[in-house]
Amino acid sequence: MTTTKARAITYVWIIVSAIAIVSWFLGPAREAGPPVASAPITIAVLAMAFIKARLIIGYFMEVRTAPVWLRLATDAWLVVLWGAVLTIYLW
Amino acid sequence: MANTQTAEVNAGGTKILAHLPSNKDMWVFVLGDLVIFSTYFIIFMIYRHQQRQLFLESQQHLSLNIGVANTLALLASSWFVAQSVQLTRAGDYDRAVRLTVGGGLCGVVFILLKAYEWSSKIGKGLTFPSNDFFMFYYMLTGVHLFHVGLGLVFLGVVFRELRNPKLRRVSMVETGATYWHMVDLLWIVIFALLYVMR
Repeated sequence: MTTTKARAITYVWIIVSAIAIVSWFLGPAREAGPPVASAPITIAVLAMAFIKARLIIGYFMEVRTAPVWLRLATDAWLVVLWGAVLTIYLW
Repeated sequence: MANTQTAEVNAGGTKILAHLPSNKDMWVFVLGDLVIFSTYFIIFMIYRHQQRQLFLESQQHLSLNIGVANTLALLASSWFVAQSVQLTRAGDYDRAVRLTVGGGLCGVVFILLKAYEWSSKIGKGLTFPSNDFFMFYYMLTGVHLFHVGLGLVFLGVVFRELRNPKLRRVSMVETGATYWHMVDLLWIVIFALLYVMR
């Protein structure tokens, strides 16, 4: 049981670190010329951050196996925050 | 421990044992902190909406290399701390102590990177009053840095307890870990909003 969980934590760590490295290629600081806004890149960045956040909550903070109220509260936080950020961005 | 375990029925109809890591008070604090930070994030987005070009140009002055290094340092520290919780539960305290130290050292690396980043920005004349973007940059990363410092104090308490057989409590190790992962979680949002989105 413990080793399965320990292995899952390691897999999640590899996934979230890989996502962080992917975002390294997307930021406006990499542009040599004047920066250009990009909705597709931003939506991809926000989606990747959402996934990272949910994996951290589920596996590192162990909310996946926590009581329902906590799973619902953290999911509600994720949806409201990222929903608001995306809405204001696209507005 | 008994009060943190409750039986719940999953989708398949079988009973599973749900476990609340750390304690309810810590989770109320964490959820409250997430809501407070979310307010900052939403205010940041509204300002960004009003001054898109200025924010985009200012973002270009940030170091994406340091931002990614900061993220990887915190993710690595979270891995150390999460594994330390597993080892504590298994009774392997010596390794749990070593991993807690590893987690703390990654936190120190994060602070050093941030200090270097801030000093290089200030050196270029990009300070708090430069513009609204930099006001948010220093405010968000500053408040977050305070949380990293507090998290290190928590890890210090966990380290002290784990080394002393009379003080060891799984719930305390879980509490420190929950707080530490929240620090990581908030950074993930800050990194996306300040450094990467465009």
